[in-house]
This record gives sequence, C-alpha cells and structure tokens, in this order.
Amino acid sequence: MYTNSGNQVIDYPTHINSRSTAIQASGIEMVYSSGTQQFKVLKGIDLKVKRGDIQLLMGPSGSGKTTLLSILAGLLTPTTGQVKLLGEEITKMSRKHLAQYRLRHIGFIFQGFNLFPALTARENIEVAFGIKGIRGQKAHQEAQQLLDQVGLGDKANLLPRDLSGGQKQRVAIARALADHPPLIMADEPTAALDSKSGHDVIALLGRLAKEEGSTVLMVTHDPRIVDVADRILDLEDGMIKS
Amino acid sequence: MASIARKNLFEDIPRFIAAQAGIMFAVGLVTIQNGILNGFVQSASLLVDNAEADIWVASEDMVQLVLTMPLSLEQMKQAREVSGVQQAEALIVRSARWRDPTNQIQAVTIIGSSVNGVLFKPWNIIKGDLVALKEPYGVMVDESTLGGLRVNDIGDTVTISGLEAHVVGITQGTQAITNSIFVFTSLKNANAYVNTPLTTQTRCKLEDGDVNCINVFDEPDTQPGGGRGRAAPKPLTLTDPITYILVKAQPGQDIEQLKQRLDEALPNTRAYTREEIADKLQIYWKDRTGIGFVLSLGAGVGILVGMIVVAQILYSSVSDHLKEFGTLKAMGAPDGVIYGVILEQALWMAVLGYIPGIALCVGVSGWASATQGILILITPVSALSVFAITVIMCAASAIFAIQKVTRVDPAIVFKA
Repeated sequence: MYTNSGNQVIDYPTHINSRSTAIQASGIEMVYSSGTQQFKVLKGIDLKVKRGDIQLLMGPSGSGKTTLLSILAGLLTPTTGQVKLLGEEITKMSRKHLAQYRLRHIGFIFQGFNLFPALTARENIEVAFGIKGIRGQKAHQEAQQLLDQVGLGDKANLLPRDLSGGQKQRVAIARALADHPPLIMADEPTAALDSKSGHDVIALLGRLAKEEGSTVLMVTHDPRIVDVADRILDLEDGMIKS
Repeated sequence: MASIARKNLFEDIPRFIAAQAGIMFAVGLVTIQNGILNGFVQSASLLVDNAEADIWVASEDMVQLVLTMPLSLEQMKQAREVSGVQQAEALIVRSARWRDPTNQIQAVTIIGSSVNGVLFKPWNIIKGDLVALKEPYGVMVDESTLGGLRVNDIGDTVTISGLEAHVVGITQGTQAITNSIFVFTSLKNANAYVNTPLTTQTRCKLEDGDVNCINVFDEPDTQPGGGRGRAAPKPLTLTDPITYILVKAQPGQDIEQLKQRLDEALPNTRAYTREEIADKLQIYWKDRTGIGFVLSLGAGVGILVGMIVVAQILYSSVSDHLKEFGTLKAMGAPDGVIYGVILEQALWMAVLGYIPGIALCVGVSGWASATQGILILITPVSALSVFAITVIMCAASAIFAIQKVTRVDPAIVFKA
C-alpha cells in the first residue's frame, strides 16, 4: 500500500516541498546463494517514497526488510532491479562513487547506535562532519548546535557509556543530521529502547526531519511509532503486502 | 576532527602498554646493537685516540693492536735520528697472564710506556699517581676491570707471568672492549712481564717399581704475592722487543713525507698516521670479524619482533573496532580517512614507543660505560636513524590492519 505521487521528476536540486520522489525502486530481487541452495530474499519489489515523507518499512523478522533497506541505502547491490535516489540511479555506481554518494546524501541511524565508544557525544558528531570535510571550529559549533537540538546540549562532553539508551540514540540522530542530508535511513532505531524513550526519540527524529525537509526511511517492527509515520509499507516474505 | 586513532589507542591501557613494550624492545635492540657496533669500532682505536703521536710505526705484518710482530728498541733509537722527528718513544702492547689473588689466571694486555715520555701515558687516572709506575712492578688498571681482575684497590698484589705486580693506580674509561683487560705499566716492567719465559720442570715419581715422569710448565712461584722478581726489572737493551714506535713530528713537518722517510729508515716496518692506524684497527673489527654482521642481525631481529608486535596489536585493535570502521564506511567515509585513522594510530605507537625506548638506551649506555666499561655509542645521527626505522616499522605493520578494514562490508552495520 504505497502511495504514488504520480510525479516522476528526475533531475532537480534539493527542494523541501517539491512533490517529487526521493526513493524509487523497481524490480528489486535479491538472491543469496549458499552452496547449491539459493534463497530469494526479495522477490520483485517496486516502491516510491515521496520527498519529505517519513516512510516506515514494517514486517516480521525474515521478511527481508533490512536487506531492502541496505539496497535502498546503497550498501548492498541487488541481484536485479534498479534504485534511484533523488533521481540518480545508484545501482550502477562503482563502490567508491557509491561511498561518495552516501557521504553527501544519506544520514544513517542504527539499531545499536554505533557510536564511537572512545569519543564524547560531540566528538562523535564531529567525526561525521570530519569525513564530509568540515573540521575545526565550524564542526565543533555545528555539532554543539545539533546536540542542543536533540536536547543534549549539556551532555556534549560525556562518553556514550555515560548516556542512557535514548540519549545515545539522540546523539546518533544528531550525527545522522550532520550537514543536512536529504535522506535519512534508519534500521530498527527503537529496538534497543523502552517504549517511552523509543517513541520520544522517533517523534524527535520526525520533527527534525520535517524541519530539515529530509526524507526518512525507517525499518521497524515497533507498532508504537506508527503515529509518527506519513506512510507505511508492509513487507512479507520478500514481497510488499498490498 | 577528534582523533579516533589516539582515543582508540588509549582505550585499552594493558594492550597499549604491551604494544609500547614491544616497540621499546625493538628500539632498544636496534639502538643498543648499533651502539655496541659503533662503540666497539671506536673502542678499537682507543689507545691511538689517547696518544699524542702523529705517526705510529709498526711491523709491516701488523693486523691489529696485539696481533703484530715485534720491533726492537734499536729501531726506536734509529727513528729518533730521522730528520723531522721531534720525539720517538717505545710502546709495548702484548698479551700476558694475570694470576689474581684467588690463584685464577686471566688474559690481560700489558701496555708499557715510558713514564717520562709525552707521547703515551695512562690517562684519566682517578687514584694513585703516574710516577708510581716507576716503582718496580707497579701497574695501573681501569676501574671497570677491578672485578674481573679480582683486585679491590691500590696496594693489592698479584702476579703477572710469575712476576709480582702491585696495583699503584686506577684509571677510568680506559678499557677497550675489543681487547682483553688493559694493564698499564712502565716500559721496564712491561718488558719483564712479556719477555719472561716459562720454566719447565720434569717431575718423576716411583710407582710400583715404575718411574713415571711428566713435564710441567711452571711459573716459578705461583703463590699470589709471592712472585719471583724481588730484584727490580732491568732496563731495556737495544735488542729487546717492543711493539710500536710513537713519533712526534717537528712542527711544520709534512706528515706524509716524514712517513716515507721513516719507512725508508726502518726496514720491515710501516709508518701510519694516527688516522690511518685508527682506521686499520677499526676496519679489522668491523670487517674481518663477524661482529658487524652479528650485530646487524641482532638489530634486524629487533625490527622484525617490533613489527610483529605492532602488527598484532594494530590488527587486534582494528578487529575490536570493526563495527566502528564499518559504520564509517557505511557513512561513506573515503578510504583515505579510514587508512589515516590506522596509520595515525601506528605513528602514535611509534612516537610513544620510541621516546621511552631511546631514553632507556641512553640510561643503559651510561650504566654500561660506568660499570661495565662497555661503550654503547648513541649519536644524534644514530638516534634519528632509529626513529626513522621505528616510524617505517610501525607504518609497515599497519598494512595487515588496513587490509582487514578494506575487506569490511559496510552492509554489516544493518545486521544488529
């Protein structure tokens, strides 16, 4: 039950309210081989995500949703099919080109937060700026600003181990928002959180994404956060349930 | 950008210490082996460096300090007649046996020089007086060799080649590690010590009607302190063997021409400038013995062990942080940034291992020269070279860790 914007504009600069497609996938199949056996994890997926939307991708374990997210985020190449992000086809890109694409356009949020344990909250965000080529005072200030936005301005110098799960995920959200990426890909962001902080964190992400005009694609099986979503896709057995 | 490398490095302190110990070990081994080689080589010319002679005349067969044929005192007199020679003095450098107060023997190198001479005399005398060497059988030894010689202080008496010897002075920093223990004395005493022949005795016993006879080489009286030679040693005669003739040129003389005149005047000898003979002694130890090779091998092993330790530590550190490197890759960090993190970590390890390593070496070198009489030479150039080697070693060790990260699939980040 995906919504179709009906609009197929391909070539455009980032524009908050343009009624265009942020993510478009067609005919995605993913086959894993193990010895002589073959597992078809994704069986022909077509989808579109509208720009500025918060799109949930739900489904039971083993439905292939994480694999689909990896493909849509340019981390995995599908066996067949095509992915276009912001009008650019990424399925044909070289590994290096793909990394550059992710660096410029995608912010990532992970189930296990994936913060650098040896770095403070602010330093974790500075690293995201650093790999984008923004260093020094500017990175420092913007990281602090992002921490203020996620309500952790006073926790900037704490290490991840001194933060609660919800706080860690908020640092991760701040990191994902560094340098205003148009796309945010999140993998089970509430799985390691209790329901209250899980919901708060996603509400925060939704609010900030709307402010930034970013598109969010989130894999989850947490039914408590559906109210934050603009649209929901259900995946089952490698196919989109309609 | 915050230094992930530095923070990862200090995150696991025991591992960090293990890594630094490994690098210190490598730095230490390379520095010390190289220092010993340099010290050894420099030590080989210690006597030459501390003599005032412009020219050393030796037998044409001379191979190294004690491995040479004798000259005669007469040749020394002849050298004095050569024009351009201001002063010529005899030097005896010969091996002898030292029998210590506990009756054990010990190889020593007797160095006999004229006490009234100016071209060579024991230097750095910390106890006793040079003129005491004029006493019959008075000797001086280096402070660092006292333990090996089993004597404690001035006044101790031993025997050398069956003749008594009294310690009348102690020097410091005068022992070459390339030679057996130096015993400084006067020309007269040295002549007595190195030219006293062994006596032989035939001892026969009657056993069960058979007469068993054995031939015994004997130092006439081997009781410590009871050596023969109550009579003072005789002055040298013209035919007595000496080892070197030290020559001081008159001011303004051309040394090369003087060398030639000495070569002509003294058959079967060869004259060397002090630089030439120092080189000859050093090259002998560097090239003709295996010492250069052996010490280089030791240094090579040090580098190898250092590399293995650093490579292992870096590899395991990277393995521990694989998820973080995967996260960086997923976020799209360029390869250069990721390799930079690992290389930076390797360089920190190099610097933080080198500093205590070289400090330790300087300490060991000071201790060795003060207490063991062993010269471990650490020059600014050798210290800098070792630093360069350390950096290269650590950077090369990073290759395995970098390869490990190269193989990380960024897609792992979405599999919790």
